[in-house]
Formats: sequence, C-alpha cells, structure tokens
Amino acid sequence: MSTDSLYRTAALVKYNVILRLRDPAQLVSYLVTPMIFMVLFKPLYTKALGGGLVQTVTGQLVMFSVFAMAIVGNAIFVEREWRTWDRLRASRATRAELLIGKALPVFAVLMFQQTVLVVYGCLVVGMPVPRSIGLLALAMAVWGFTLMTMGSALATLVRSRGDLMMASDVGSIAISSIGGALLPVSLMPGWAQAVAPFSPGYWGLGMIRSAVEGRTADTLRPALVCLGIALVAGTFASYRLARGWGRSRLV
Amino acid sequence: MLQAIDLTKRYAEVQALAGFSLEVAAGEIAGLVGHNGAGKTTFVEMVSGLLRPDGGVVLVDGRPPGQSRDRIGVSPQHIALYRSITVREHLRLYGKLAGLRGAALRREIDDLSGALRLTGFLDRPAGLLSGGQQRRAQAATALIHRPTLLLLDEPTAGADPDTRQALLDVVRQRADDGAAVVYTTHYLNELTELRATIAVAAKGRVIARGSSAQLLDGLPGEVRVSAADGPVQVSTNDLTSTLLEVLRTVRRPVDSVELHPPTLDDLYRSLAAADVH
Repeated sequence: MSTDSLYRTAALVKYNVILRLRDPAQLVSYLVTPMIFMVLFKPLYTKALGGGLVQTVTGQLVMFSVFAMAIVGNAIFVEREWRTWDRLRASRATRAELLIGKALPVFAVLMFQQTVLVVYGCLVVGMPVPRSIGLLALAMAVWGFTLMTMGSALATLVRSRGDLMMASDVGSIAISSIGGALLPVSLMPGWAQAVAPFSPGYWGLGMIRSAVEGRTADTLRPALVCLGIALVAGTFASYRLARGWGRSRLV
Repeated sequence: MLQAIDLTKRYAEVQALAGFSLEVAAGEIAGLVGHNGAGKTTFVEMVSGLLRPDGGVVLVDGRPPGQSRDRIGVSPQHIALYRSITVREHLRLYGKLAGLRGAALRREIDDLSGALRLTGFLDRPAGLLSGGQQRRAQAATALIHRPTLLLLDEPTAGADPDTRQALLDVVRQRADDGAAVVYTTHYLNELTELRATIAVAAKGRVIARGSSAQLLDGLPGEVRVSAADGPVQVSTNDLTSTLLEVLRTVRRPVDSVELHPPTLDDLYRSLAAADVH
C-alpha cells in the first residue's frame, strides 16, 4: 500500500470514527442491556447449569454482539440514505480504501463491545478469567469480523431503515437464541437442536465459550465455520458496495 | 479535456442515453440543459466514473474517468453530505482524498469558504445548515482540490440569489483558471451570466450545441407596442425593421415600446418542441 493510499485510508477511517462517535446510542444500548441481563440471569444459570457463569456471560455477549450488527448495518445504510457513498466512489479513493475505511471503525466498535462485556463478566458477574487472552482475542476478532460482514451484507439488501431494524432485530433474536445464547442447545427441543448448527450464533457461541475455557482445538473448528460465513457475506457485501447503488429506488 | 462520444445507457425499459456526445475544452463552461429525464444526470454520473456506458467512450484528459478521478470534481444533483459532520470536516475529508495536506489544505479551505460565503458555517454540522448553505458546502467539496474537470449537476437548484451568485462567481473563476466545466441547470439565465456554451439534451442525446449567439441566430424575437388602438405583438427575426413597420401602422399616441430579442428559454422551448414532434 503506497503512502498516498495509506493517507486516504486514514482519512476515511477518521471520518467514520467521527460518525460513530457522534451517534453512540446503539452501542450504549447494546452494552448496558447485556450487563443488566447478566446480573439478572446469573442466579438462574448458576443453579440450572454447571459452568453457568460462562453461559451467563458468553450467552449475553453473543446475543448482543449479534444485535450490534445493526450498528454495522446503520453505518452502511446512512451512506445509502444520505447518498454519500457514490460521492466517495467518485473521489480518488479506491474501492479497497473505501471498504477498509468503512470496515475498520465498525470492527473496532464490535471488538470494544465484546471486550467490555468480557471484562464486566469477569469483574462483576464472576466469570473465571480466561486462560488464554490471546485465544479469546482471536475468537472475538473472528466473531466481530463475521458480524461485520453479515451486517454489511444485510444493509446492502434492505429497502428502508425500517426493514433494516426489523431484519436485524428478528435476525438477531433468531440467530442468537437458536444458537444457544439464551438456553444451551442441549436443553432445547429436538427440532431446535437440529436447526442450531445452521445458525452463525451456534458457532460463535461455541467458539467464544471454548476460548474462554482455553480449549484451543474446540475454538478453531467453529472459527473456521465463522470465517467461511464471513467470506460469503463479505464477498457479497463488497460486491454490492463496490458497485454502489446508482439510481436504485430501494431507498 | 472531456470527450464523450456516442454514449448509450439503458435502465430496464428506459433508454437513458442514446448516442450522447459532448466535448468540453479546458477553460470552457458547457451548460447542459434539457427536460427532466433528458439524460443529463446519467451523463454526469458516467463522466464521474459511477456508471459504465453500455456503449460509447468517455475520456477525461485522454483517459477513462476511473483513471482520472484526481482531475474530476463532482457536485451531484442531490445533497450528499454527512449530516453529523461539519463543513470543515467535509472539506478536509475530500481534500485529503484528493491528496491535499497540511498548509495547502488549510489554505484551500480558507479560500473556498471565503469565496462561497461559508466561513460562518465551517464548524456547523451539515444537517443543521439551510438548503442554500448545504448547496454551497456540497459545491465546495467538488472544488476543494482545484479539479481540471468540474461536473456540477444543478448546483443552484432551490438556492437563494446570494447562494446562486456566490456559486456562479466561483465557477466562472475556475473556468478562467483553465478548468473545463459541465454545468447542468434549468436556469438558463445562469448560463448567460457564466458565458457558457450550450448543449441541449433531449431523449438521451445532445440535439443542439454551440455558443448562445450561434444557437439564437435565426430564432424570432418579439416586438410589443402599446398604442391608442390597443397592444400589438409581432414575432420577428428583424426587430428594428418590424418596429418601424408597426409604428407606421398604429394610431398615435404610443404608450410603450418593447423589444424582446430571442432568449435561451426560447431556444430551449423551440428545440424541445421540435424534438417532441
């Protein structure tokens, strides 16, 4: 990457950071709500499950990190709604620079959310400190990347802000609950257990729980599945974003 | 500077461009006029590199638009500003994307905000600006890197007279400095003020091209005389002779005499009507 390219990418990252900082409401919501739920659900999970503290924290973390896809979706959607994406495409910035400039800040938001919830889980809820911080950081990064690509793909498909909110709310509940974020998959009805592996939340939760417990092999397999999902969603989103929406009447 | 040759573009069932050709030289302002749907915005988006033509060629300084983005400044028809970002931050962003840095960038921001009367609003988020201020801010993002090809798509739509004048002054100045300008508008008097050449678009192609004097040559003007026996209104190609003829025939006293040479509006209407028929 040339110096000019780095300079343009840094400029794009900077203004995307400014955009995120000036619209923090969603992030605050997706940080505070799981913190409340962790404290409320802790007695239930610890009585009902062995290792309930890990389920308490990682379940809420996965559920509300999936909700945070809406932050990614919004970040993309405002570019459509405000017609700014085409304006950027007409600038000297390359497609790669535009995509990196857009992706890095929202990825940082997703990592920040997960980090705060893990720290809160350890300090307030009492979850054991993860055995390998590096393994957990890797798992969170893979999960954050997966969510970022899924949220981006979603934002390029919906027709309105209402569609985006509906899709991210229903999708988040479905992905996370079927994936075992609320109730461990082993306790679900048979049909739900059969469906669970089709949910990205299932793999995300398995990956993060294994990483918290320091089980490297059990972390890497779901990580590969998540990366596969990210590859598909990311390719689709990149294709749509690189082409722009032109005179699409979708918005 | 800009060569667009025989461009075609189809959206589903709509033929947006059907052999659209336009050349604009350095230092020239080409006023692109035409009804809504004539293909003006599609043409601008194509020259911006946002749309690929189905057929034909676009060259900016001899290169395709995608390879000339550093030379192009675009102000789209619709406001395209980040509502929570200030005018100064917009100018910094687009300046940096065009390669401006440090003191040079600050100087351009100062110069441009002064010329476009944005100085008092530089640190206000775009979402809090009035429509006219947003128009000027948007134009400023297109001008900040002193592009050699300016694409201004209805930059004064809905703007107040002050906004319009500030924009026209800057655009004329940039052309005098050597920039080629494509200026789409429905306000034909602006093109007179800009001393622009004219391209009239209809049904996806340019149907007339030249200076306003060339295009107006042969169009009828109008003589209006108000006399004691009532008003007389005559359409004519020779205003002076017709006036004398009218004055010989009407009863005295004459209250008023008006000579109306043909205007760009007349040209536009006659070409559009001819094209429809």
